[in-house]
Amino acid sequence: MSSPSPIPPPNDRRNSRASTNGGLPNEADALSEPSELRVRRKSKCLKVPPEMSALEYASRPDSNLVCLICHAPFDRPVQLLCEHYFCRECLEHAWAPQSNNRKTCPTCRRHVEGENDIRPVPKIIETMLDELVVKCPNSRTGCTWVDHRVNVHDHVMLYCEYTPIECPAADCRLHTTQKDFHKGCLHYTVGCEDCHTSLMKRDLEEHQRYLCLNRTTSCALCEAVLLRLDLKTHINNVCPKHVISCQGTIVGCKFRSERADVTQHEMACAMATMAPHFRDQQARLERHEARMEPLARKVGILEDGLANITNMLYPANANDASFPVADHLDPNDAAADFRLPPASFPHGAHGSDNSSNEPPFDSQVHHLLTLHENLREEVSRISTTLTEVEGRTNMMIINESQRNKDEMLHTNAAINNMRMQLHWLMSATIHQRTTSASTSTSRPSASTSAGTTGRSTTQGPSSRPGPSGTLPAPYRRLSDSNRQDTKL
Amino acid sequence: MFASRRLGKELTKMQGQLPPGITLVEADNLENWLLDIQVLDANPIYAGETYRLKFTFSQNYPIEAPEVVFVKDDTHSIPWHPHIYTNGIICLDLLDRSGWSPVHNVESVCVSLQSMLTSNTRKERPEGDENFVRYNTQRPRDINFVFHDNKV
Repeated sequence: MSSPSPIPPPNDRRNSRASTNGGLPNEADALSEPSELRVRRKSKCLKVPPEMSALEYASRPDSNLVCLICHAPFDRPVQLLCEHYFCRECLEHAWAPQSNNRKTCPTCRRHVEGENDIRPVPKIIETMLDELVVKCPNSRTGCTWVDHRVNVHDHVMLYCEYTPIECPAADCRLHTTQKDFHKGCLHYTVGCEDCHTSLMKRDLEEHQRYLCLNRTTSCALCEAVLLRLDLKTHINNVCPKHVISCQGTIVGCKFRSERADVTQHEMACAMATMAPHFRDQQARLERHEARMEPLARKVGILEDGLANITNMLYPANANDASFPVADHLDPNDAAADFRLPPASFPHGAHGSDNSSNEPPFDSQVHHLLTLHENLREEVSRISTTLTEVEGRTNMMIINESQRNKDEMLHTNAAINNMRMQLHWLMSATIHQRTTSASTSTSRPSASTSAGTTGRSTTQGPSSRPGPSGTLPAPYRRLSDSNRQDTKL
Repeated sequence: MFASRRLGKELTKMQGQLPPGITLVEADNLENWLLDIQVLDANPIYAGETYRLKFTFSQNYPIEAPEVVFVKDDTHSIPWHPHIYTNGIICLDLLDRSGWSPVHNVESVCVSLQSMLTSNTRKERPEGDENFVRYNTQRPRDINFVFHDNKV
């Protein structure tokens, strides 16, 4: 704890009492036998006050008196302003990771200012807690004391005979109990006279009473007196009061009772009479199964070996060249292995045999599955070939059409060339004709030619070289459309 | 010592009686417990399902909060909830350092989770669930959750 006691002890009677009580016997000792004072004081020092949170309560304590943090009845409880109660120590635990000014009530998170917010609990609560009935913390080692909690401190520190204290011998550092204190040091080895185990003197009594195998004890069920050594076998095999089931239970008899009754029942129970036979059979079955397993494994190994050998001798027999190691689950290979002598294995018979044979498979389904697997592989191979072929044809067609297209382009160019030449020739002739005509009729033809030029600019395509005449205009347009047809 | 004594007391109590829908599956030691919870009302998201919770207690329990996660196995799934990640980590202020208080216990945590599921109407995972589940290497208690949703 960081701070020794941040919370003021609210009328901590126990502490004050403890100090006075702790002091008293020492004084008495000092008065009566001063020579042993040193030893005694040492022994007293060893006694530790009982831990409240570890106490065992005789009955389930009232849930209103239980601290919500440690889930045990309050130990030195305090009250916060919000009227929530906790053990003093629990609060310190809970607040340990928090800084001083950030303390809150664990239940309602109300801020706790400082020491003033932590107050003592009402007297009635204290009294109720004091009156809770607890067992002595030494009840494990034999103390049977049960009383109010308020007295447990005194009991443990003063009266309990089972409280561990230091051994009275000056050179012995081991612990003994108050009750054995006057017997002197009991920490020396003795042998149990019944079972010859060596153990410490102080444990001898307990050993002889509860543990020694060679001492007589009585069966808890039938009260027969016998050695502790035989107790287990007695209970398992003989004790008439021990509850067992009928022998026929392995075949379904539900009868279960004390041994004496069961013995009577078994006289009449048919299932109990049959039970030994069933048990025999069961054992035999298990034996056989156990023997079968290694045999099955051996057969598997041999099959594998045989398949490998066959493959090595006749590599062509393998179903697929891509599989160098034979799959012995394959029906074809299996057929080869089991149905035909390897030396005279005919190549051609392989396929025919495959269709008619009954392969040594554990099930028809397995065979079908393998067949199906083979077929699937075949199909996938065919499909890849198909795509390959398709690709190749496509390439061929594309190449061919490319060439055709090129040729067509050439031809078009040639035609264009010829057309240009034709134009040139045509325009030359027209020019000649108009010049000759203009000399005879110069006036009227000038207006006509102007009109034709206007029309042609609005209608005709732009690539028309040279001036156009009246007559050739429709003719040329015809030729124009012809050219376009060819192009298409 | 403190932790084991308190857990021992809780265990004794839980072995006696538990609220409906909560069952203690395994508590062999005082470090890891397994509990099953069911949502008992007719919430269609969780009807008929049993979820498994794993509690991990530190030495400082109950001063320190236990680590509580949902466990996924063959028979148990992680419940759908906008605050429960696919890896079972639960975003709940009660289980965080700031929200925890030593007066809480295993039973009260289970009841809180039950009611958290009961009141949920959205069958979804938290935002960024996939990334969190893939990249989270922290223990649940080391993750700094931001508690923004006050409805649950």
